[in-house]
Amino acid sequence: MVAQELESQQQQQQPPKKGSASLHSHEGPGLNILVGKAREVIQQAIVDPVTYLANWGRLYSLWPVHLETACCSIEWGAVSGPRFDAERYGILEAFGSLRQCDLVVVHGTVTRKMAPRLRFIYDQMPEPKWVIAMGACSISGGVYFDSYNVLPGVDQVIPVDVYVPGCPPRPEELIDAFILLQDKIRNSNIKKTS
Amino acid sequence: MSSGSSPELPKAEKGIIDAIGKLGEKAKLIYAKPNRIKFSVQRDDLVEVARFIRDELHFDHATNVTGTDFPKDGQLEITYHLGSHDGGEELRRIILAISCRIPSNDPKLPTLVNEYPSVLYHERETAEMIGCVFEGHPNLGRLLLPEDWTDIPPMLKAFRLPGRLEGE
Repeated sequence: MVAQELESQQQQQQPPKKGSASLHSHEGPGLNILVGKAREVIQQAIVDPVTYLANWGRLYSLWPVHLETACCSIEWGAVSGPRFDAERYGILEAFGSLRQCDLVVVHGTVTRKMAPRLRFIYDQMPEPKWVIAMGACSISGGVYFDSYNVLPGVDQVIPVDVYVPGCPPRPEELIDAFILLQDKIRNSNIKKTS
Repeated sequence: MSSGSSPELPKAEKGIIDAIGKLGEKAKLIYAKPNRIKFSVQRDDLVEVARFIRDELHFDHATNVTGTDFPKDGQLEITYHLGSHDGGEELRRIILAISCRIPSNDPKLPTLVNEYPSVLYHERETAEMIGCVFEGHPNLGRLLLPEDWTDIPPMLKAFRLPGRLEGE
């Protein structure tokens, strides 16, 4: 009896033959995700096409400020470099002017002397703009939380959209933060941001 | 105060201690180890002792100026760390420290900028961090702290972070 059961299980586990059944077993989940995404996109595009187009345009052209306050900027260098390559997600550091930028990635520790400068930089950028706080120091002060000279969290100075914990965060985490931010932009309402 | 020149001290250190011994009561030996010698001087004798060390002992530059707070004694200790470039191989490894205790309620010290020009920024930082006023210094303005700093100097033991309870 046991051998028969085993045989029957093996027969069940055998890959189904080519045909209509194979769509659900192998290509099914991928297709379902694709259909779901397409439905989302089509819904958004039909219900509010202006918002959809504006967000789509902002989504893949994020220009971060070249502002490196602490050692997390080394990881940022790795993210911009060819190995992790944030440019394939539409994120490329802007070296020209703050007027071209729409993203501040705060790299690590911000001292109390730097805090007004950071606010000036944020104020000079045109709307819409987003902020990513990178590393433990920019989130809460990190190991310098009780220092006379370090700001305990940059959200005291500028509004933060995405927090990336770590000391320093791996480049994959920063890329994950970019994708989270893009999700946020995709679902945002342009009337509020502009 | 420890004994002057212990037998295991190298020759150069012994020479320095003997030379400063000529000043008598003006400079008191705190400790003497290989490569490290520390003297204590009074506030009024600081410039004279520094000039003597520069001219006679060939310690031609100051590497550091530090300040320490002693709240139980009610004193600040300002320490100058001196080194030598031109004194030869023996002197080059030695760091000679001159310390000066000043009362916390009257934190004034004559500047050593004229004797050792390299203390210009060190004295500015010490003045900012511990609140010592270096008389005769050309510029004791803000250097490292934020421009809107209104609290007491942050390296004093009495300094508390704003928003923190006592003993936290």
